[in-house]
Amino acid sequence: MAHRWQPEFEQLVDEHQSMVFSLAWRMTGDRGLAEEVAQDVFLELDRHMERIESPEHALNWLRRVTMSRSADALRRRRVRGVDLWVEIEDKHGAPAEERQSPLETRLEQLLSTLPEAQRAALVLRYQEDMTPEEIAATVEAPVATVKSNLHRGLKLLRAKATTHLKEYIRGL
Amino acid sequence: MDFESTDRTERIIGSEQDREFERELKEAMVRRPAPPGLKRRILQKRSARRTERHHTTMIWWQRLAASLVAGAVLAGGFGWRQMEERRKGEEAKQQLLTALRITNQVLNNMNRKLVEHDRSDDTK
Repeated sequence: MAHRWQPEFEQLVDEHQSMVFSLAWRMTGDRGLAEEVAQDVFLELDRHMERIESPEHALNWLRRVTMSRSADALRRRRVRGVDLWVEIEDKHGAPAEERQSPLETRLEQLLSTLPEAQRAALVLRYQEDMTPEEIAATVEAPVATVKSNLHRGLKLLRAKATTHLKEYIRGL
Repeated sequence: MDFESTDRTERIIGSEQDREFERELKEAMVRRPAPPGLKRRILQKRSARRTERHHTTMIWWQRLAASLVAGAVLAGGFGWRQMEERRKGEEAKQQLLTALRITNQVLNNMNRKLVEHDRSDDTK
């Protein structure tokens, strides 16, 4: 008889809180909002614990729900008329011990200016190291669309990086 | 020939720059540590939500129990009323039958007396 995997909620929070929070932060660009999203995602996981069948299932479920909740949070913010990107890092910047190198922070800021679908594809590709097929399954989009978003997003980000980072290096 | 060679060299340099950029991007996008206390807040909310859900469930059970009691009282009252009406109907029926029986008896007596009276007239 097959052994049924019985997940421990607290253990899942321990294992995946960093992943969920990072995805939410990179998608929303707002630390506070990302924390709210992460809490909502885990509370929803708690309600769905009986349906989680394996550690892989838990990981994929968390990625999918985090992306979806982050998109919802952004939409709600847009409806309320808050311009997120004006406040990024100023209001909700990471504490000093969490800060990355200025170059990495700059890259992340540029990433946050990309269209949502391209940003989602790049975040899943480079943060989570996922293949276009896995990304397609997570964001529920055709693989061709994901590949196109990855290609365009990377091109746009590189173009922005070329301009902005030159200015940044000049400014150092 | 020189043009083709320059073009190929540029493409190689371009793809190497792409790879370098992707590598930098990957390094920049490592997972960030979760904020301190996130797990504690999640567990607190989960506990609060469970208590609230338990409370809501209790309220629903109480409402269901109250509805069942009210239903039972109403059904009992309705049943009692029907039984009472049936009993009264039965009582009225018995009274009517008794009245008919008495009337019948009186008529029989009167009839007998009339017959006797007719007979005494004939003998005279």
